[in-house]
Amino acid sequence: MKYAIETFDLTKKYDDFTAVDALNMKIDNKSIFGFLGPNGAGKTTTIKMLTCLVQATSGTANVAGYDIATNPNEVREKIGMVPQLVSLYSDLTVRENIDLCADFYGLPEDLKVSRAEELMELVDIKYAQNKIVKQLSGGMKQKASVVASLIHQPDILFLDEPTIGLDPTTKRVLWDLMEELNSEGRTIILCSHDMYEVELLCDEIGIINGGILAAFDTPRGLKDTMINEQKDKKSSKNSDVIEIMDELRKEGGVEDSAAYDQLKDKIERKNRDLKELSVMISNLDESMLNHLNNIPGIHEIVEHDSGRLVMDIDSSDESVSLIISEIIGQGGNITSISTKDPSLEDVFMSVTTKYKKEGVDDG
Amino acid sequence: MVETKKIMWMIKKDLLVLWRHKPRLISLFLFPIIMIVLFGYGMGGTINNIPVVVVDQSQGPLTDATLSAIKGNTLYDVKDITSDPTKGLQDVQNGMVKAAIILPTNYDNLNTTSQKSIVVDVDSSDQMAAGVIIPATEGIFNGINQQIAVQKLQANSTSAAAVTTNQVAGSAGNPFQSILNTVNLQINKLYGNISYLDFLVPAIIGMTVLFGCVFGMGEIVAGERERGELARLFMTPTSVTTVLGGKIISKLVQETGRGIILIIAAIVLFGIIINGSIVLTVLILMLGALCFIGFGIMISARVSSQEDFMQSVMPITMPMMFVSGVFYPIETMPWIFQKIAYIMPLTYVNDALRAVMLKGVGIGGIWIDVVVLIGFTALFFALGVTQFNRDI
Repeated sequence: MKYAIETFDLTKKYDDFTAVDALNMKIDNKSIFGFLGPNGAGKTTTIKMLTCLVQATSGTANVAGYDIATNPNEVREKIGMVPQLVSLYSDLTVRENIDLCADFYGLPEDLKVSRAEELMELVDIKYAQNKIVKQLSGGMKQKASVVASLIHQPDILFLDEPTIGLDPTTKRVLWDLMEELNSEGRTIILCSHDMYEVELLCDEIGIINGGILAAFDTPRGLKDTMINEQKDKKSSKNSDVIEIMDELRKEGGVEDSAAYDQLKDKIERKNRDLKELSVMISNLDESMLNHLNNIPGIHEIVEHDSGRLVMDIDSSDESVSLIISEIIGQGGNITSISTKDPSLEDVFMSVTTKYKKEGVDDG
Repeated sequence: MVETKKIMWMIKKDLLVLWRHKPRLISLFLFPIIMIVLFGYGMGGTINNIPVVVVDQSQGPLTDATLSAIKGNTLYDVKDITSDPTKGLQDVQNGMVKAAIILPTNYDNLNTTSQKSIVVDVDSSDQMAAGVIIPATEGIFNGINQQIAVQKLQANSTSAAAVTTNQVAGSAGNPFQSILNTVNLQINKLYGNISYLDFLVPAIIGMTVLFGCVFGMGEIVAGERERGELARLFMTPTSVTTVLGGKIISKLVQETGRGIILIIAAIVLFGIIINGSIVLTVLILMLGALCFIGFGIMISARVSSQEDFMQSVMPITMPMMFVSGVFYPIETMPWIFQKIAYIMPLTYVNDALRAVMLKGVGIGGIWIDVVVLIGFTALFFALGVTQFNRDI
């Protein structure tokens, strides 16, 4: 089975409101998939449809090789879900909740005991197994919920914002667990607003917005797409400027040809693949600055203040090492270096903002 | 310092929430209207139209006058006039009427010297109706007795010989005694002396089971749906029928236990006597509980929160309590409430429980109640399960 999940025009409508609109996506088997989207974008509804908690209005999906509409019970046997709101029985103990779930999945008694013990140890909650759920902290409840969802060893595990409100240590426990489960060959579907978490764990990411799948790629792929889009946008603007300058020249509006060529060269260089490099030099002086201004790999020094240099440089792999060598050669004392790539949050903002603008324009 | 603005906000917030939950809003206004109508028109405190049957075994002006007096009294609703005393008694035993007023064969013979023994067979299991019928009937026949006495005295004044004969044949001690005691009213309480508490207990048990089952199902279905606990169950390969089946059995056991405790408490604390079979009483209790559980499931099938559930059932359960004969006999209510009573399952639970506990009847005497309750139960479960919204 190549895909853990395949959706086919999956749609959910509530009266006149379309929560999910003809969603088509394929999620690789044994991957960790991050499902992102702003609040109300349709993430939870999609997850509910894929976990057979809500019926699709139209379209369908194959989950673990079974159709959600025609074989919901087979789907349920193959999946587990850690819901957004902890849905354990609050007046039962952790162990009673786990046993209840195990019996609802039809686990044999011996397997039920061994798995419960193993999973409770894995997430470090065994010591609280006889505590009433409502007496537990949020993190412990979530751990118990995870154990209850994993008791039948599902092939696909859905987690709907599992680490929301948890302390860093508990988050780390859950992240480690997700990676371990994935290494065992399970597919993880992670809905989250925590971009760091998604970037850290996920092989592929889908961004849903207004019920439509707005982006789908690897984290690197999404960032590259964003960089390229930004570059195309900039390039298009610069080309327009060069076109106007050429027309000016034809009409004899240019007196200083050298200055004209220098300006045109500068604009054309802006079209090149650039990235931002920030270097902190404790002994930065004017002569060092002048020297750096003439290095070919540096397109422009955007900012220099209190020893901090921010430069637009060529994006080639060699350009960073070349510039650093030059600074050291000039006797510069480098205290920190950083390059700036778009973050997943930038990608998320870009994708969702673009949708909003299009939505307004369309509307 | 009074924080007026904050208080105003609290009021505004509550009103907005109410406005945005239309079922709650409708219930808020509908419920008091239903209740006041029920109280105002249904149970205004006076009991009228108690169904009775009159057995007239002789014909004549006195029978006509008696029938006229009974029919003219709004307390009675004469369902039948028959000449067969056995049929009259059977009508009472079958629950068709609350009393049979049986006039003797010599009722119209004013010349007879023997007493006219009028028998009133009263369904004493309906303590409210019996408590009204007995004094009212006594009043009517006291009046008739006086009229007969006057007629006889008038007749005697014109015939001294007849008076003398009557005096001799009647009472040696008091010459007018036979005239004054012309009518002898015998009250026959078919089920003995039933106190109001005896009358109330079966219905209170039925009512307790009703509220326990309906509100309990609201908590374990609508409440669990609201808290996301049902979602956990529906994530597993488990059918709606299995989940609901488990909940039904659990609730049934609880409510049967509660009913048995109530019966034991009534016996121990208040000396209630169960004239019929205790096993049959418990079985009726279980059937009633099952029916009300089905009702709870039917209502909770589509609602998403416990609050909505409560607001949906209150306009049905509270009126059900008042029209189902818990406190007043159904037959004495206006016809519209009688019609409503017959579509309320609690009516049949009360009727069956009273029949077994007070009258001591067996299954043969309550089979209609049982069949109707089974029908209601099947209908509620069918609707509840088929309409159950598995979507979370």
